Amino acid sequence: MAVLLQSLISGILIGGVYALIGIGLTLIFGVMRIINFAHGDILMVGMYLTYIIFTWLHIDPFVSVLITFPLMFLFGGVLQKVFINRVLNALAQNQILLTIGLGLIMSNTVMLIFTSDYKILTTSYSSASIQVGGGVSVSTPLLISFLITAAITAALYWFLLKTDTGQAIRATAQDRDAAQLMGINVKRMSIIAFGLGAALAGTAGALISPTYYIFPQVGGIFTLKAFVITVLGGMGSVVGATLGGVLIGITESMSAVYISSGWKDVVVFVLFLLVLLFKPSGLMGKSRT
Amino acid sequence: MRKHLLALGATLALAPCLLAQKIGVINSMTGPEAPIGENITNGIKLAEEDLLKKGIHLQLVWEDDTGKPQISMSAMEKLATRDNVVGVVGPYTSACSNAVAKLAEKYKVSLLIPSAAKEEITRQGLQHVFRMNAPADKYASSLIDAALSLGKAKTIAFIYENTDFGTSTSKTAKDYVATKGIQVVADVSYPKGSADYRSTLAQIKSKNPDLVFMVSYVADAILLMRQSREMGLQPQAFLGAGAGFTTTEFAKERAISECVISCTQWTDDVNWPGAKDFGKRYKTKFGKEPTYHAACAYASMIIMAETANNAGGDRVKTRDGLKAGKWNGIMGEVKFTDYDGFTNQNNHQMLVQQILNGNYETVLPKQFASKTAVYPFPKWK
Repeated sequence: MAVLLQSLISGILIGGVYALIGIGLTLIFGVMRIINFAHGDILMVGMYLTYIIFTWLHIDPFVSVLITFPLMFLFGGVLQKVFINRVLNALAQNQILLTIGLGLIMSNTVMLIFTSDYKILTTSYSSASIQVGGGVSVSTPLLISFLITAAITAALYWFLLKTDTGQAIRATAQDRDAAQLMGINVKRMSIIAFGLGAALAGTAGALISPTYYIFPQVGGIFTLKAFVITVLGGMGSVVGATLGGVLIGITESMSAVYISSGWKDVVVFVLFLLVLLFKPSGLMGKSRT
Repeated sequence: MRKHLLALGATLALAPCLLAQKIGVINSMTGPEAPIGENITNGIKLAEEDLLKKGIHLQLVWEDDTGKPQISMSAMEKLATRDNVVGVVGPYTSACSNAVAKLAEKYKVSLLIPSAAKEEITRQGLQHVFRMNAPADKYASSLIDAALSLGKAKTIAFIYENTDFGTSTSKTAKDYVATKGIQVVADVSYPKGSADYRSTLAQIKSKNPDLVFMVSYVADAILLMRQSREMGLQPQAFLGAGAGFTTTEFAKERAISECVISCTQWTDDVNWPGAKDFGKRYKTKFGKEPTYHAACAYASMIIMAETANNAGGDRVKTRDGLKAGKWNGIMGEVKFTDYDGFTNQNNHQMLVQQILNGNYETVLPKQFASKTAVYPFPKWK
């Protein structure tokens, strides 16, 4: 029972961070219909940013989110303005090549600067935990990052649902041409959306860094994960990505215990295929006609 | 005094033209293995200096294999046929050493491998291949023997990365514990680079094993120990086999690495003749701590050069000299013998070390120990 509860809790906590990565990707896709293959690499940039801020300025990784978020927003905005906007109406394969290329440039630049050595952040709470009774413990850094994730997600929901800009973004996502006809500056919305997506990925990177290790190629792992999460939840659906993230977290954690940790990725992909088989547009997705 | 030195210098400078022993070195000096290859290069350079002091002159022929077996092989062909060396020290990696070993046999040139771990290399009955370091199976057995000599462990849990390195090391360990009557209660492999080992560790914790045996590289080693602490996994000992548990980065993480037991071929606090001095001189000359690779390479070059010198540069006599000889130096007693299916293998004594106050301290075997082992593993704070 303790083992079950333990893996459920770890799964939900990890899943929260996965959700953050997924939401970023789904937001970008929703607004621009572009699949961002550089998403994991943007997350990696966020990790290194956190690493620099931590080792040079000695600011705690969780506090440094306040710096990382706006910086990554700018980074994403510039990427959108300089590169992505130019291929919005291009063929899908050109868009894919562009984002993959951007990702490669990011990871290789980082490798040139920091070498491919693994970096690990050590904070006072890196291996701390809270005992909740019954032999179940909750990792302190994971719990904090989950709470921050929850706060950010809530703020994002509020932004998308209640503010004018948020509604404009959603309108752009629903129908780009109609939104433009209604007087919405869709190019600007695209920049905001990509900025937000990058900021969310960067923040996820910052939140993972106290419990994970940092290396230039780490992005690939998370790009793949982000895809599974967004497709599972339904491309373009923020609620779907949140749900997908938590679901993947729990599945990984449970299958590591009850099947084998070597097989957990297989279980995740089997689940993924099953969902696609029975609900091709994803859990929360509405198929577009 | 200065005059004497000058005179000595003059004779030394003249001598090599006639008496220098031509010895080949194959090492990974560039490429992905270069960071470790550098230790081997440094060890050999220090050996060259010390040999000169003893009046043995070397003409070393350096070959860089960039960590690739095929380049290593062409280097060996060149050394054996064109450079006509008496013997060869190297290469670094197991893959390169295994490839080169067969060529050494073909050309009848003695090859002394300083630090490659793969067991098979000296298990093929090759008469011209010698190995200084203990092969991979010793890692597992010396760790488990150490744990058994410290306490009465009945159960063990294995956690290792699902790579060739992880699975083969833990397989040897599993075979070994079976002969010692220890029960394996958990046997888990994980894909390298997982963020979260908590559920796996929770599963292991529920079995309450006496020993936890881990095989991982640096980053995973730190994560595994951090999460073990989080989960409150509390065995009598954490045994770390493999690269991740013997690095200074790992030792620096004191909250989680303290009292973890690992093993190595060599440490600079062991009381083998000249070991401490070697460590000190290495640090002054190269500005960093010597790894066991450096010590293995140093001892290998000393032995190869002395034997070649005694044999007057004759290949056959050098081989016989290596086979018959016995040395005592910074690697302890060295003798190349045939045992348990090995040929010309130095039955090297592995050292078991424990991290105490953030430093690696040799704790077993007793006669080489600098500190007493802490056992069982203290309660997590």
